[in-house]
Amino acid sequence: MEKSIESIWKDGFQNDKGMSAPKVNDIYNKKSIHIIEKFEKMFTVNIWGIVIVSSLLFITSYFTGALFAGSIVLTMMLYVAYTAYHELASLKKIDKSQNSYTFLRSFKDWINRSVDRYGKMYRIVYPVLILSFYIGIWFSNTFTDVREIVAANSDALFFGLHIYTTIFVIIIAIIMSVFSKSIHRGDVKTIYGRILKKLDMALAEMEELSH
Amino acid sequence: MSSDFYSSSILPYAAIIIKICRAYTNTQEDFEDYYQEVCLQIWKSRNNFRGQSEWSTWVYRLTLNVSLTLLKKQKKSHSQISDEMLPEIPEEPGVFEDESLNQLYSAIRKLSEVDRGVILLYLEEKSYQKIAEIIGTNPNNIGVRIKRIKERLKKLLDGKVY
Repeated sequence: MEKSIESIWKDGFQNDKGMSAPKVNDIYNKKSIHIIEKFEKMFTVNIWGIVIVSSLLFITSYFTGALFAGSIVLTMMLYVAYTAYHELASLKKIDKSQNSYTFLRSFKDWINRSVDRYGKMYRIVYPVLILSFYIGIWFSNTFTDVREIVAANSDALFFGLHIYTTIFVIIIAIIMSVFSKSIHRGDVKTIYGRILKKLDMALAEMEELSH
Repeated sequence: MSSDFYSSSILPYAAIIIKICRAYTNTQEDFEDYYQEVCLQIWKSRNNFRGQSEWSTWVYRLTLNVSLTLLKKQKKSHSQISDEMLPEIPEEPGVFEDESLNQLYSAIRKLSEVDRGVILLYLEEKSYQKIAEIIGTNPNNIGVRIKRIKERLKKLLDGKVY
């Protein structure tokens, strides 16, 4: 006689091996790898973003007669991309065979070290970029009319630059240099905020789990 | 998660958790992931248990919700990859010693996501009231729904529906 689904179910589960519960260990294994892989992906996209944007700026600078400033911007941004590439290589060296907690802790330490290093690097990069942009735009072909109007109406010129505007830009550059770490930290939060939040949550849960 | 919590609050319900997780997964690897995630979510959400229902009812509901969420996530991530890139994950050979049970599970996996939950609870001899409470639906509809699911399962087992 054909068995009903109720009896198949009842009989089938009598002392069956398929009922043994899997071990509950290293729960965060997949999650932690997923977090870091996502971060690596975004980080790589950002490196390419820097390379592409700086190349476009360089091409634009060539056509607008601001090649010198464009070259400085390109050099600076490629330096940032090169540093990021090395940072990414060091991130990939984190030992994936560690337990999830140590793995994520190492990742968190890497982020903190990286933010610190970038903060120091941007102390120079930010002001150089701002001044290059300013000088580049000011002396570019597209600003010829503006330059002429300013020269005709103001005595406050220094090597063709409007003194007060220049002082203002220099002050901005100095402020950005002083607060480079905080600005960079804000950038990181904006770009990677969601992943970093997940990371902190996972670490907090794992710490709680181990107690 | 303390081993005390696991032993006292999860392990007694491991059988039903396993049965539910098996119904939503095709491979052993997925099954273990689902099981671990359910255990983790029970532990994480334990303070949300207000005692308005039995602990077991709460565990069943949570297991179903976690399984449905994970299934949805899996489907979403698969839909982002074109069909050509992603070969369909074949169902692994049955894990149970009883071949009829393997076939029944295979048929259950062909049901809609909610129907899977309903039939599992029915087979676990939960009352219509309890099933409705866990699924979050009207108990009056449960009987009809179960009848319909059983008919479909029978057809699937007889090989009439693919």
